[in-house]
Amino acid sequence: MPVNILSLANAVWILFKKDLLCEFRTGYAIGTLLMFALLILSSISMTFSGISLSAELTANLLWMIIFFCSMAGLGRAFLEEQETGTLFTLSIYFRPQAIVLGKMLYNIALLIGLTCLIVPLFMIFLHVDFQLWRELFAVLLLGDIGIGAVSTLMAAMLGGAQGKHSLFTVLTLPIILPQFLSAIHATMTILSGNVPTIQEIAYMLGYDSIMILAGYMLYSFICCE
Amino acid sequence: MDLSMSVELVNLGKKYNHKGLFQGINAVIKAGQCLGITGSNGSGKTTLLKLIAGIEQPSEGYVYMKGNRGDLRREERVGSIGMVSPQIAFYDAMTGIENIMFFCSCSLRRCSIKDAQEGCMRVGLDGYSDDLVSTYSTGMKQRLKLAIMLVFQPTLWLLDEPSSNLDAVGKKIVGNSIKSALQDGATVIVATNECWELGYASEHIILGECSVDSI
Repeated sequence: MPVNILSLANAVWILFKKDLLCEFRTGYAIGTLLMFALLILSSISMTFSGISLSAELTANLLWMIIFFCSMAGLGRAFLEEQETGTLFTLSIYFRPQAIVLGKMLYNIALLIGLTCLIVPLFMIFLHVDFQLWRELFAVLLLGDIGIGAVSTLMAAMLGGAQGKHSLFTVLTLPIILPQFLSAIHATMTILSGNVPTIQEIAYMLGYDSIMILAGYMLYSFICCE
Repeated sequence: MDLSMSVELVNLGKKYNHKGLFQGINAVIKAGQCLGITGSNGSGKTTLLKLIAGIEQPSEGYVYMKGNRGDLRREERVGSIGMVSPQIAFYDAMTGIENIMFFCSCSLRRCSIKDAQEGCMRVGLDGYSDDLVSTYSTGMKQRLKLAIMLVFQPTLWLLDEPSSNLDAVGKKIVGNSIKSALQDGATVIVATNECWELGYASEHIILGECSVDSI
């Protein structure tokens, strides 16, 4: 394997481990995400208690919870580095591509962890039963990767902007929308007892790949002024 | 990694909102040499270092860096550059040693706990190396920046007011670090208004009021 790829992979892994260590010690993002998820889940379960939900509404609710939870916590990874000045130090010692990919990996891992917590609670609170677990896992994974990648890229782009925290959600939604709608449709199909088409899965996979590639290619321009 | 590096500044200029900060800077600094940058507050000393580091883009001119294997592209410079600057910040939730190991492990380099401990010892932080950085004073953080440079051993040292916030012992550590870096063949660029720090430089750039003289 070329030295460049190895060194990039090593740097991405080191950045990911650093973020995990800092998060483990401070618990800011995990705390925010958990509280937000529990708050939304309990509100929704109280609103819809005793009502039988359609597959369409159930899929929409699940992805809305995941999306808004991610908006509450994923932007932090970059915005906090910008505010504390550590992003400047990172840009001296790490390649821009390593920084953005490390952050993406961390955000995606965080979102997958959160989804693993949300889904069982969602099933309990809203009395939802998923039959096609393998397909659901694939759709959730692809959706999480898309949301994680776009959130990271948007947080990186908004680093120098004023009012970045409020702008983050507003600007992320239109870009995530294609993946968001695909994930909702695929989840709806699974809830109806059918398997999503290969085209749907391929579309989600393509979207994720493009967003990760966009982050890899664009961040060196974003970070340099 | 390149073992030696020369830096060439060609007609370098920077503007912010159409207002010129400096222009027409030309200098060549070779391995084992020190370039001193001085000038009044706001004259662009830090900005010039950022241009050399590749963190900002010049409005005009170029920064060329040559290593053992020819010209280095921007992404190739990472891993060869180290910086001490007031803008360098650390992770408060990590200890001094963890910060050193993290920043010195970029690229394919490996930094052991022993290396990090030795770095802390050389800058007088040996009693505090396992403390969280959030408990460090400003002077201790400045020493930690130097410890990273000593462990990282970059081929290009960019020093922006390296002795600020340091006591007499700390200033001596800065002087010794610059001397040892030059002896090891590193290229050192120091932006400062301290005469004793400029004393290490064989060439100087004076910034101020958009007029630039290379002495």
